Amino acid sequence: MGEDEAIAKFSEDQNDDGVSESKAVPVEDKESINDKNVEKFLDSMDDYLILVDSLSSILRQGWLELASARHSMGASRISASSYDMKYHSAATTLQLQHETASSDVGQPHFVLRKWESSDSPKKDPSDSPKRDPCEAKLEEDKWVQSVSSGLRIRTKGTSESSESREKKAENTGSPLSVDGHAQKERLKALSMFGALAPPKLRAAQLSFETALETLADIANVRASLLRAYEQVQKEMESPIQ
Amino acid sequence: MYGFEALTFNIHSGYLEAIVRGHRSGLLTAADYNNLCQCETLDDIKMHLSATEYGPYLQNEPSPLHTTTIVEKCTLKLVDEYKHMLSQATEPLSTFLQYITYGHMIDNVVLIVTGTLHERDVHELLEKCHPLGMFDSIATLAVAQNMRELYRLVLVDTPLAPYFSECITSEDLDDMNIEIMRNTLYKAYLEDFYDFCQKLGGATAEIMSDLLAFEADRRAVNITINSIGTELTRDDRRKLYSNFGLLYPYGHEELAVCEDIDQVRGVMEKYPPYQTIFAKLSYGESQMLDKAFYEEEVKRLCLAFEQQFHYGVFFAYMRLREQEIRNLMWVSECVAQNQKSRVHDSVVFIF
Repeated sequence: MGEDEAIAKFSEDQNDDGVSESKAVPVEDKESINDKNVEKFLDSMDDYLILVDSLSSILRQGWLELASARHSMGASRISASSYDMKYHSAATTLQLQHETASSDVGQPHFVLRKWESSDSPKKDPSDSPKRDPCEAKLEEDKWVQSVSSGLRIRTKGTSESSESREKKAENTGSPLSVDGHAQKERLKALSMFGALAPPKLRAAQLSFETALETLADIANVRASLLRAYEQVQKEMESPIQ
Repeated sequence: MYGFEALTFNIHSGYLEAIVRGHRSGLLTAADYNNLCQCETLDDIKMHLSATEYGPYLQNEPSPLHTTTIVEKCTLKLVDEYKHMLSQATEPLSTFLQYITYGHMIDNVVLIVTGTLHERDVHELLEKCHPLGMFDSIATLAVAQNMRELYRLVLVDTPLAPYFSECITSEDLDDMNIEIMRNTLYKAYLEDFYDFCQKLGGATAEIMSDLLAFEADRRAVNITINSIGTELTRDDRRKLYSNFGLLYPYGHEELAVCEDIDQVRGVMEKYPPYQTIFAKLSYGESQMLDKAFYEEEVKRLCLAFEQQFHYGVFFAYMRLREQEIRNLMWVSECVAQNQKSRVHDSVVFIF
């Protein structure tokens, strides 16, 4: 038997296993994919729990700061009767997009657009420039990673002051960094309680703003968690080859 | 330095000074606050307060209680005591007692005007007004579109009329203009009150000068800090500072150009009475500044009771009661939010 004939016979023997060469997935590879999906599920679950804990802590801090602002300004100046009932467009909106990347097709993705100018006339959403969802997800992933890596040190129960939070945000370049437009819109939102807002009221606003961002991240992580869970379920139900 | 107040003061004001000193002894002590801080719910707070002078005002309130209810009922007690003193007072004490309430009147005017600008219902706003600052035509504030109309239609017949000369414009009312109006009115009120006390002379002038100067200085610091990062220009900020006080005029010139809390600290630390206040704060921190100012104010108000035969005791008592109500509000909020570890962040002990 010539050498070429031996190679051809070897190839045929391989094909006689019953699985075509193009469709065959070795058992070892399939198990590693299963492990990766389970790992992804557990990571998403961990991120979700950390974010929920963080949200609870941030909201507690925000409510106390609001009470502190009422204590110094007076209960009549900070109450529901101070809300502006005139029609105005929202400074912060939440957009729902769907992933187009091959690994996460159809997965919902929430994007928080903060401090858009409240002076601009109400625009048709279809006219707004379309943002690449992958770019948005990349930014959000970076933020979730920075939050997760910080929280994995298990600083549960501690809450940073708003001033140190702002400084940390500036250093990491996360969405919390203060720029002129955002600061202007923040003060504009607070003007319903008086044009000269004290530091305690600003700190409360920052806490609730952080809570809003955390909520959007929780929604995204939850979507990722449910996706990973579906994949794990599918693999558990499919017959093992 | 003093006149012969000891000979003539008790003729017209002896009874009321005795009344106000009796009220002073009813202020809550540190032991009362320690008991309140141990409470688990607002009903526990109500139970502890039933043993104090607030008892009759809270006993009929149904559960579940809210922190605003506790504050409202405690404020009612203060209002009743004030009205009793005002009804018994003769001149010039009656005018002095009325001056004490003008600050609340200014807050109520601004509340109604701001609420109207935000399209709120007038009746809802009237419920939020401070009872010490109410006057007959307050509800008609809702019809004014600018400050000129505000003055012409409503405020010309109120005690605030003289304070409007500096802020009458035809500009439409917006959030910044209203805030400037509030601070301009309060500045004019403080200066008028200060001049009135100077005319009274004697111990009243000396004690009230110190208390009002501290108030003016504190307002200057708060206006400076709160206007950092806003559209308020340096000139506008300078115009809101009162024309008396320890910081007047050189401290005001320096405060007007401050851009952050550390620069404010740098200005204030040049004045020995305020060094101790800012020494309690770390650099860049502004959260505990209010408590530091309240503690200093309480110390000065308590000292007013060390002398007799002057009207400063009435002002001091009203301010101490208001501080007590703020303390009760903070304790209630901490209990309601299950954050008792933060109670001592803002409670200022009076005794």
